[in-house]
Amino acid sequence: MEILWIVILAGYAICVAQSVFALTAKRPVMQRTSLTALGIALGAHTVWLVIKGIRANRCPLVGTEEMSAFLSWSLVVFYLIASRWYRAAALRAFVFPIVLALATIAAISPDLQSAPPPPNQPVQALLLPIHVGLILLSYASFFITFGAGLMYIIQERELKHKRFGTIFYRLPSLDTCDAIGSRSMAIGFVLLTVGILAGLWFTHARYGVYWQGGPLEIFSVATWVIYLLLIQARMNSGWGGRAGALASIVSFLIVVCSLVGVRYLGHA
Amino acid sequence: MNIVLVGISHKTAPLEMRERLAFTEVCLRDALGELVDREALEEGLIVSTCNRVELLASAPSGADRGLGRMIEFLCGFHRLEPGTLNGHLYRHSDNDAIKHVFRVTSSLDSMVVGESQILGQVKDAYQAAVEAGTIGRVLSQLMNRAINVAKRIRTETGVAQNPVSISSVAVELARKIFNDLSDKTVLLVGAGETGELAARSLIEAGTGKLLVTNRTADRAQEVAGRFGGAAVSFEAFYEVLPSSDIVLCSTGASDYVIRAAQTRTALKSRKRGPMLFIDISVPRNIDPSIAELENAFLFDIDDLDSIVQSNLSERLREANAAEAIVEAEVHQFVMQLRSLDIGPAVEEVKEMLSQMAASEFRRNRKRLGGLSQEQEAAIQDVLLPSLVNKLSHPIILHLRNAAREREPSELIDELRKMLRID
Repeated sequence: MEILWIVILAGYAICVAQSVFALTAKRPVMQRTSLTALGIALGAHTVWLVIKGIRANRCPLVGTEEMSAFLSWSLVVFYLIASRWYRAAALRAFVFPIVLALATIAAISPDLQSAPPPPNQPVQALLLPIHVGLILLSYASFFITFGAGLMYIIQERELKHKRFGTIFYRLPSLDTCDAIGSRSMAIGFVLLTVGILAGLWFTHARYGVYWQGGPLEIFSVATWVIYLLLIQARMNSGWGGRAGALASIVSFLIVVCSLVGVRYLGHA
Repeated sequence: MNIVLVGISHKTAPLEMRERLAFTEVCLRDALGELVDREALEEGLIVSTCNRVELLASAPSGADRGLGRMIEFLCGFHRLEPGTLNGHLYRHSDNDAIKHVFRVTSSLDSMVVGESQILGQVKDAYQAAVEAGTIGRVLSQLMNRAINVAKRIRTETGVAQNPVSISSVAVELARKIFNDLSDKTVLLVGAGETGELAARSLIEAGTGKLLVTNRTADRAQEVAGRFGGAAVSFEAFYEVLPSSDIVLCSTGASDYVIRAAQTRTALKSRKRGPMLFIDISVPRNIDPSIAELENAFLFDIDDLDSIVQSNLSERLREANAAEAIVEAEVHQFVMQLRSLDIGPAVEEVKEMLSQMAASEFRRNRKRLGGLSQEQEAAIQDVLLPSLVNKLSHPIILHLRNAAREREPSELIDELRKMLRID
């Protein structure tokens, strides 16, 4: 398994280096190399998740190691989907550093010594990984929204200040950033909604109540409300452009900070 | 090899002179037929554009004779006094000619370095010469290589990357804001010639809709009609401001035509992201404070011009990298031509040695006594050919090595004499 991590990290590291360099270089560099590296790393990453799942005989979504591994894997997949829909190679430079960071966290996290026993009821055993998986996927999608928002703000600055350097030519158009942002936000919102519903169902199946009022539950609903408001603002008052981009960046940062806070508080 | 080239370009001759030397499409075929006399010139090609006229040929009987023949043809065909072209014409042969062809095709010799038209023009000229039957082994290799070099330079360097005219910069800016222009509306304020020109390039770039407004309504109607757009009355154009995405302003007014207050209202009411304002009028017609409004992007003529200038100097910087590629490609191509040149000589040497071996075998056949059929076949099919290969190998190797350093024709002549090949 360690050799897999070496391959995965090396592959993503090449992608990070290439994407950041490509953002500022005048000519396309190492395109083929980084594409091959990405293919190999993603393949190894998928294999790792599958082996992990087979060995533990459950979905590999328990503990820091598995969750970071799955989250970084989903980010790569979402990036690949976005790059099929839009011409925005620059997005790589925003996504892959986080992919590499998450994969590193997963690689250095210790193996779970004693995983909590999986629920023995079949409904619960099915609902828990669906709940966790969907929520993680929604975060990956919101991260793409965040990256698109960053690209928007940078490109908007370049245009306003009339700086037409390499970054200006490498970044996609404002409309493209906006489109990636709204679409990934919509997808993330749907995933989050279904994920929360699965969570509520699970809680009910296990504890007999829908709502226990724990910090993670409050946090999830708060995230849901924030993105609901953002989407509503975009759809009804045409709140796109700079304000929309800024709002999606700030929202994501709030969500990440409170997630870290909640996890810390939860452990304390 | 003897590749020769004569020509005039925007760098060496005024337009008036280039006009007189131009070849129209209609007369090109006859001209090519007349140029290639199969004596001084074996193959030929003519590139004739508004910026240059170039004749390219292969001259088997020497570069000087070839060049002389080309100039004679040029004057004769256009009925010019022989001295007229002095000082305007450049002539190149061999490596210099190859280099010139590569530079021209790669748009390094163009008025606007990196422009894309010249490659198409060279391809057309090549096609015309192929159809006229004046392209042979040497020029077909040269032209194919030149086209590849041009493509290589386009992808590997930045000579053709960023736009270098006011109109194309405006289009580039629109693309960097809107990406897809097909559902966007351009509002042209002031239907003068400059405005029309910029509007045209936006329409050609695929903008969906054009609205035109002008102080004299007739002129607005006329320009709108030309591009399939709609005219808007000058008094009421603020009403269409919210539904416009790109505002192109070019009037002769001495004051601001588009003001900040109205624009702020328009931006608020439109609910659909950014707007691009392009002011190509002097004095300016769009209030500069609009640049500070959220989701409004304003560029005046100086902004556009500074982008053009910086892109131009960027292209010139990139041209240095392109020149290095040209140098390397010329070197490689010359090597390739020389190895082609020794091809026939290699064949001759082998043929000569084979004949010698065969005739010696026949002459001495009786002395060898009784040989079985298999033995005789083995001598003819195995022993003799392998002897020929062993003997010719060092000669061929020497030829190849020599061809890498210099023109091999003298060496080939020497070899012919040595082996008594006629």
